[in-house]
Amino acid sequence: MMLLLALLVPLAGAIACWALGPWLRNLAGWLATAAVGISFVATLLLWGAATQPGGVHLALFSWMSGFDFGLTLDPLSLLWALIITGVGFLIHLYSIGYMHGDRAFARFFAYMNFFIFAMMLLVLSDNWVGLLVGWGLVGLASYFLIGFWFERRSAVAAARKAFILNVIGDVGIMFAIFLIVANVHSIRFADTFAASATFGAPLLYAICAGLFIGAAAKSAQVPLHTWLPDAMEGPTPVSALIHAATMVTAGVYLVARCAPLWSHSPRAQMLVGTIGALTAIVGAILGTAQWDIKRILAYSTMSQIGYMIMGVGVGAYAGGVAHFFTHAFFKAQLFLASGLIIHALHNEQDVRKMGGLRARTPLAFWAILVGVLAICGIPGFSGFFSKDQIIQGVLENGHPWMYGVGLLTAGITAYYMFRLFFITFLGEYRGNVDPAQLGMAPEAVGAEVAHEPASTGSGEAHAPAWVMNLPVALLIVPSVLAGWLLFSTDGASSPWSRFFAAQFPTAAQASAAAVPEWATALIALGVVLAGIGVAVARYATRSAQANAVARLRDESLRMPKLLVNAFYVDTLIDGVFVRGARLLGSLFGRILDPHVIDGAVRGVAASAVGFGVLVRALQSGLVRAYALVIVLGVGCFLAYYVFGIPR
Amino acid sequence: MTPGLLPMPLVDYLALSAVMFFIGVTGVIVRRNPLVMLMSIELMFNAANLLFVAYARAWLNDAGHIFAFLVITVAAAEAAIALAIVVIAFRASKNVDVDEASALRG
Amino acid sequence: MSVLFWGLAVVLVASAMWTIMASKPVYSVVALLANFFALAVLYLTLSAEFLAMIQLIVYSGAILVLFLFVIAMLSSGVASFSVGPNRLPRIAVPAVLLVLIALGLVVVGIFMPHPAPLPLAGAAVNAGAVGDANVFGSVADFGRALFTTYLLPFEVTALILMVAVIGVIVLAGEHAPYVGTPRRAEEVRKSLREAIAREGD
Repeated sequence: MMLLLALLVPLAGAIACWALGPWLRNLAGWLATAAVGISFVATLLLWGAATQPGGVHLALFSWMSGFDFGLTLDPLSLLWALIITGVGFLIHLYSIGYMHGDRAFARFFAYMNFFIFAMMLLVLSDNWVGLLVGWGLVGLASYFLIGFWFERRSAVAAARKAFILNVIGDVGIMFAIFLIVANVHSIRFADTFAASATFGAPLLYAICAGLFIGAAAKSAQVPLHTWLPDAMEGPTPVSALIHAATMVTAGVYLVARCAPLWSHSPRAQMLVGTIGALTAIVGAILGTAQWDIKRILAYSTMSQIGYMIMGVGVGAYAGGVAHFFTHAFFKAQLFLASGLIIHALHNEQDVRKMGGLRARTPLAFWAILVGVLAICGIPGFSGFFSKDQIIQGVLENGHPWMYGVGLLTAGITAYYMFRLFFITFLGEYRGNVDPAQLGMAPEAVGAEVAHEPASTGSGEAHAPAWVMNLPVALLIVPSVLAGWLLFSTDGASSPWSRFFAAQFPTAAQASAAAVPEWATALIALGVVLAGIGVAVARYATRSAQANAVARLRDESLRMPKLLVNAFYVDTLIDGVFVRGARLLGSLFGRILDPHVIDGAVRGVAASAVGFGVLVRALQSGLVRAYALVIVLGVGCFLAYYVFGIPR
Repeated sequence: MTPGLLPMPLVDYLALSAVMFFIGVTGVIVRRNPLVMLMSIELMFNAANLLFVAYARAWLNDAGHIFAFLVITVAAAEAAIALAIVVIAFRASKNVDVDEASALRG
Repeated sequence: MSVLFWGLAVVLVASAMWTIMASKPVYSVVALLANFFALAVLYLTLSAEFLAMIQLIVYSGAILVLFLFVIAMLSSGVASFSVGPNRLPRIAVPAVLLVLIALGLVVVGIFMPHPAPLPLAGAAVNAGAVGDANVFGSVADFGRALFTTYLLPFEVTALILMVAVIGVIVLAGEHAPYVGTPRRAEEVRKSLREAIAREGD
């Protein structure tokens, strides 16, 4: 019952905010926040029961034989539910301040609560259909929230793009579910996993591939990743909650949930791991070329999810899930802190126009510093533990090249995150510098204006309300400390591994890796420090700070086209799929439809008309002619009676 | 009249009836006046009745008489309705010719 | 007896021919009257007394009078019969041809061997005066059969006649619904055309 409460209270909040929005006014934010808070507390109260073997299970209803719907709470979904509601609660609180004064304040919170409901449905369902419904609703909520400021064309386009790419994933999952239902005759996870050992390798691979298409679309994996940077058109809290902490990690959840399937299919593991590794490094490389603070964070999100997918894909489930856990905190914190800056700077998102912000936004400075240290994996901060566990896990599962990619990505990550940090906070404030001197493209100026809602107050930088500061401050704590849950003194049983002891199949081939764990940590640290060193050399030295304007201008103008255009993935998709679809459309529209299909229809009509012309001669309406025909019939009858009957 | 035997062979009645019937058929097809066509139909009815009566006498079965009676009744009803239709068709189109009344709608 | 039969046969065929060939409908009615009278006599020879009477009273007395009545009403002035072109001028040829073929088939059928001899020889009819009970074809016998064995068909007859009466009233009554239909249909078409013209499409 508590489980149902945790699921449905956000939905009730969404309906209330939507229906009563005009009357609730600013109360809508508090109502929505409270709803998420209740959901969090309800989930927390179930902690004890959920960690028992078997977890909490609640049968809801049965549609028909094999289609039993229910909710389940085991360690995996408990972790996700706590992150969704916990981080969601803080971000809701933050949004009250951030969205203050927006015309559609209540609508925003209705969407946010709706998202929490959908995400909870996704992770709490004990069956494929429930998961798919949650999956689709999450995409819908994401669509609503990316396009929240639907007056802006770019926001609408971004929302549409995200939705379409997500639907591609939905179709993949649906395909997999069809295969599962056809072979298992049940939609429950438990039945599926129990039967998975009997699947043939091709079937298992097809199911895994279908599921992974969904996971890749939702989690922004190459090549379905292009929606994520564009999704930053949404309000910053949305970016923090949906496009960093929770929704985009649904793919990680799916792969981790289906661990029994993947464990039986090494080919599928290879596929997932490869895509994850590719995404990790591509996201990191693209992150170095961005100027918009939110887009930098978006690419870093993509890259970090690539890590997670790589981890859960190759069988390092605990590591991948752990990275989700820590990433949710520090990435939400980074986004919220960048929201503080954007808010304070009057909707400026371009880092080139920032600089020297340490004094103006001290909280954002500290929060981003902690976040950057965490994401880079500096020992002691949370990212260090989880990222190392993934990299080490990949090696233990026998994929050395992914190990290398992971390390390389860690170095690049360190570079671009410190680049963000240095450009934003060091040197002089460049908000008053002519954009052209900073190398900003002319069309980019102006487009950046009025992105975010008209905030209250005036002046260059104004202090946010406590509702915005408190969540950021609170998130610093887990960003630093969450990783220590993974730390084990005896080398085997950290609190984390005990928590998931019954959840994941232990990798059979988890042999002693060629490189011991302490060595991996040292190598990673070395690579990270190298990345930081490059960033320091380029942006933090005394001369670099002094010539910041000129240097940024140079960098902007000399940015490789390949990186500016994000490896031309969008162009490729546009060229192949959009153009292809248009060509196909015009083929059908100009040739096939008018000539073949319409021709067939017209042919049928013409033949009917022709036949009618023939038959019309018979239907003269002349009674006497009819009588004559009747006589003919009588004659036939007579002939039959006379000659036809044998005597 | 000899009881139990037909005055004439049954075949003669059959032939007479057939001739009368087909005269009626010819009238329906050839004539254009609906009144004459109706009278031709009455001829056909009567040809049928003749057979009913002849067979009833041959097999000494009442059913033939009853059937002939029914046919007369139906003929009466048919004549009444058909004549009513002729009357209103004449009112509408001011002529009496079945060739003119070849459309279902007025 | 055969003289009577063949004489009646000649009258029947001749009057039938006259019926369909008469130039005026009134002549047709007269010819049909002769036909019906001859048929009534033939019924009498077949010991169908009641039907002979019915033939005279209902057919000759009611139906033919109805025909005469309609002829008188329609030709009382407005227009002559049979206006308009003959749209099937040569239909008589195939009609007569077909009819002759059919007739020939009937004759062939008559003279072909039958599966079993017709049970007519030796069938007895009780001797007795006309109208007596227990005599085949007598009025009493017919009446008993009609009201006992064949009561249901008789009742159905009543229903048929009633339907006919109602039908005639509906069709030819003063506020007959179908009389004005052509005009109304034309009005509907006209208003539709106007509406379409207004819409411009």
